[in-house]
Amino acid sequence: MNALSFAVSLDEAMADVAHRVQRSLVVVHNGKRGAGAGVIWRAGGFIVTNYHVVAHRRGRSPHPLHATLPDGQELPARLLAEAEHLDLALLQVETVGLQPALIADSQSMKVGQIVFAVGHPWGQLGYVTSGVISSLGTAQSGNGHGASAQISVPIVRSDVLLAPGNSGGPLVDAAGGVLGINTMVVGGDQGVAIPSHVVESFISQALGGRPTQDSGEPVTDKKAGDWM
Amino acid sequence: MTNENNTLTALSDAMVAAVEKAGAATVAVNARRRMPASGVVYSPDLVLTADHVVEREDDISVTLPDGSTVPATIAGRDPSSDLALLRLDIPAAASAEKASAPARVGQLVLALGRPGSDGIQASLGVISAIGGPVRTGRGGLLEQYLRTDAIPYPGFSGGPLVDASGRVAGINTSGLARGASLTIPAALAWGLADTLAKHGHIRRGYLGVRSQPASITTAQQSSLGREQGSGLLLVGVESGSPAEAGGLLVGDIIVAIAGQPVSDPDELAASLAGPVVGVPTPVEVLRGGRLETIAVTIGERK
Repeated sequence: MNALSFAVSLDEAMADVAHRVQRSLVVVHNGKRGAGAGVIWRAGGFIVTNYHVVAHRRGRSPHPLHATLPDGQELPARLLAEAEHLDLALLQVETVGLQPALIADSQSMKVGQIVFAVGHPWGQLGYVTSGVISSLGTAQSGNGHGASAQISVPIVRSDVLLAPGNSGGPLVDAAGGVLGINTMVVGGDQGVAIPSHVVESFISQALGGRPTQDSGEPVTDKKAGDWM
Repeated sequence: MTNENNTLTALSDAMVAAVEKAGAATVAVNARRRMPASGVVYSPDLVLTADHVVEREDDISVTLPDGSTVPATIAGRDPSSDLALLRLDIPAAASAEKASAPARVGQLVLALGRPGSDGIQASLGVISAIGGPVRTGRGGLLEQYLRTDAIPYPGFSGGPLVDASGRVAGINTSGLARGASLTIPAALAWGLADTLAKHGHIRRGYLGVRSQPASITTAQQSSLGREQGSGLLLVGVESGSPAEAGGLLVGDIIVAIAGQPVSDPDELAASLAGPVVGVPTPVEVLRGGRLETIAVTIGERK
């Protein structure tokens, strides 16, 4: 393959990834302060987003959560579970025909791997940014039971440009598989995402009917694979 | 639909392989109070890093990719190019491979760092520009530097900028340009490391003159026998200096040192690096419009 045809092929592959991901991307409105992104994670209308995206409607907000689907349809969303220390929330919308995202094996991801973030930074819908996984590690996170109770949460950092509105959106690999949920920006130039295997555990626990306010056990081992 | 084996996944796999290859020779350098910095294994028992991250002379250690921490001593340092060479008490497993070809603008590169024991870190970008020469203070002159848009995360100083094949294109440092990140090209860095390994420091010559560029008339150029539009007019000769001892005078225009034309201060700094130090060296000057060659024993800048 010559250099030009390689570049064209690369180009098409990148556009494919963006297109694939955008089919499973929603806008999550909390009715008060702006909006975040969300990922259609499983059939049945299950949408994953960040805790902090939905947190503002807690209490007795008169504004219900709702989601804008890829086809532009706006639906009310039910909050099924939330985990502040993981910055994750699980929503459900009542509709059929949603296209769930392809979920990648986040336990085998590697530093240097090419990734894309898709979200709605500054309100620009479906915005795609690219980069690589810059490091794998853990972050200390409060578990909601006081400052002394810290939990070690596996995280993946990337050099992908993120901005407010990327929150809750997916970090995807070169094949369009979701490696994690983008959650915040550290120091302006390093994005943090919660790996998909942590999201899967969170959803399993949430749907298994266990308490949703504390879905994690304290983890002392620093290896990303040992979560839960 | 996305093909799982397309060019994008191939590129992604290649970047992972480049990180693994170069990461195996990227170490953490523990030589300052703040967070550790990075270094590159130059040869099994030598680690190349940035001079400015080596803040102490003793109690230096290097954390290898396998997680083991090995004591190290300073084998040589050159503040002018912000490079230091550390000698490991126990050899490292893998040495870095230097890129064989010069860097090109637009080329894909990864900045790597290992600031601690939490694994390798990487950022992707391209070679944004190739610049130089640039004077770095203390008589230093970096003949060339690379710029990249790969993000230099904290602790990346002393770490490698690597190409798509995992070979080292240069050494990253934020210590040469007031905190902005520059990359010292591998060919230069390896050459300096070689000198540091042998001599422990980089010798830079000292003349003891103040000068300013001055144009050379066409008539004077004919006496040089070459086209050279400018030289360095001496406006001061320090008392007791090598220049005074050799007989250089205020008003002389230096046009060449050791046979190499000198037309601006950068070229003067370049001509004083390395082998001329301590050696009687022919200095060509225009004096009263005539070309004269004066032997000056170049001193060493302290």
